Amino acid sequence: MRNNSLKLGLFLLIIAGIAGLGIAYVNEITNPLIEQQLITNKLNSFQEVYVGAEKITDESEKYLDGDADSILTEVNVVYEKNTPAGVIYTVEPSGYNGKIQLLAGFDIATKQITAIKVLNLSETPGLGDNAKQSFFTERFKGKSAEKNLEIVKKEPVEGNQVLAITSATITSKAVANGVNAARQHFMDNFIK
Amino acid sequence: MSLGKEFTKGIFSENPLFRLTLGLCPSLAITTSVNNGIGMGVAFTGVLLASNIAISAMRKIIPDSIRIPSYIVIIATFVSMVEMLMHAYTPELFTSLGVFIPLIVVNCIILGRAEAFANKNGILPSIMDALGMGIGYTLALVVISAFREVLGAGTFMGYAVFSGSAPSALIMILPPGGFITLGCILAFLNKMQNVKVAKKAKLNQSIAQQQLSSN
Amino acid sequence: MQEMMIIIIGAILINNIVLSQFLGCCPFLGVSKKLSSAIGMGVAVTFVLTIASLITWLVQKFILVNLGIEYLQTIAFILVIASLVQFVEMVIRKKSPDLYKALGVYLPLITTNCAVLGVAIINIQKSYTFMQTLANSLGNALGFTLALILFAGIRERLEEADIPKSLQGMPIALITAALMSIAFLGFTGLL
Repeated sequence: MRNNSLKLGLFLLIIAGIAGLGIAYVNEITNPLIEQQLITNKLNSFQEVYVGAEKITDESEKYLDGDADSILTEVNVVYEKNTPAGVIYTVEPSGYNGKIQLLAGFDIATKQITAIKVLNLSETPGLGDNAKQSFFTERFKGKSAEKNLEIVKKEPVEGNQVLAITSATITSKAVANGVNAARQHFMDNFIK
Repeated sequence: MSLGKEFTKGIFSENPLFRLTLGLCPSLAITTSVNNGIGMGVAFTGVLLASNIAISAMRKIIPDSIRIPSYIVIIATFVSMVEMLMHAYTPELFTSLGVFIPLIVVNCIILGRAEAFANKNGILPSIMDALGMGIGYTLALVVISAFREVLGAGTFMGYAVFSGSAPSALIMILPPGGFITLGCILAFLNKMQNVKVAKKAKLNQSIAQQQLSSN
Repeated sequence: MQEMMIIIIGAILINNIVLSQFLGCCPFLGVSKKLSSAIGMGVAVTFVLTIASLITWLVQKFILVNLGIEYLQTIAFILVIASLVQFVEMVIRKKSPDLYKALGVYLPLITTNCAVLGVAIINIQKSYTFMQTLANSLGNALGFTLALILFAGIRERLEEADIPKSLQGMPIALITAALMSIAFLGFTGLL
């Protein structure tokens, strides 16, 4: 009996071992591809929020003092001829159903938002989900970084107002919160 | 049973989703667009095929008393592989299917086929069984997601179906839409079944009457 | 503390695990014909789901990440859950035969309940802390129990109702679930 259960245990161990090796092998093959993809995706997204950015350096360590509660997760500075021309922030504000990850680009010369792009979100399909659509992100383009952005439900009248997505005010506000946090940091650190 | 029959039974008479109502979770959760439905179906078929082959090949060496844990390990291995391959080659699909890719592990159909078919049959019939079941499940997912995408978003595989701005029934791609669609499809299939049975009964009756009168 | 309450209430009502995330549909539709069995299943799932989530969180944090083998997540988690279910079954059988009588039949079903594995994976994906994991799993488990018991209550009444033949059984159950899901959509603005 004892001998038997030992045998069974050994059998399971062998199967698990083979399984582990198999998975490790596939991981070996796919991991470089996945990493590569993450990098290209990131660069492409950076290009989208700051068109024509050539030299981008990650300066998160310099600007973010390791504050875990901050919703700012990355600061990437765009250089033109060795002087900072713009900043691309990665922010993770809390949405309706977990965190929303988005990029916000700012131009130092014009003090304007160049563009924003939603990378990841798990909001309600058909409602909050629309935050990643261009019709919504376009509404942030060219807004001044000097004033706090405000989400409104009717056609905006002031320059700092942004029209919410229909029936997804919470998500819209979350996106605006993220952009505002980046905006504040941008004004404090890059505009003198 | 012939190989052809092993193949077709999964698509029609024993369709895992419509007939046996197994594997409900993904069929409700990810069927918000046809692309998702196809992606899920293909991933599922791949795992089922691989696990059926492996289990059928090892059916004589797996000790009976620990067969279920062994099956789970085998299935989980293939699921992890499919997950990584999808992450590498179809990243968009990977993100939109999300947690439901690893959850293929606990899809009752796969463990069910291992226990009910692959451990009793040779490799070739097991392959046919897996392909039939996989395609049957994929078709079912596509049918559900087609209804939901066309009605809920007004598109089919991402292309607009209706010209102009026809309002779409948003509820169909929200969670309740999944339950409604599957419920209606099952009711429709039941109706068809009932009609068929009734027709057959009528036919039998008339044959019996003819026999009676001829006597 | 407030954050934990938000996670719990959010998991029970707004993102209800069955009615809006579609995890655990099989037992939801399968074990809901009688109120008494729904309660048994609910308690068993609450118990296993909470413990399993905590253990898998520890496994992920201290074993998988430390060894750099995160890609073994799926297989490690399902093994943890399967052995946990076996272990719980054995302990209950020895220590409390009464409880075993009440929950015994539901325990083996839990291994293949995608709610358990699903919540364990989601906890990791959302990079929750240990306490947040506790709150989220408890909330999801309670949400599952709530949905299951409400649904069983309705289905017991449906038994008496005069339903067209084609709709009997699964179809009417699914449509009822749809109506419940619409009702739960009403909690959307709560938080």
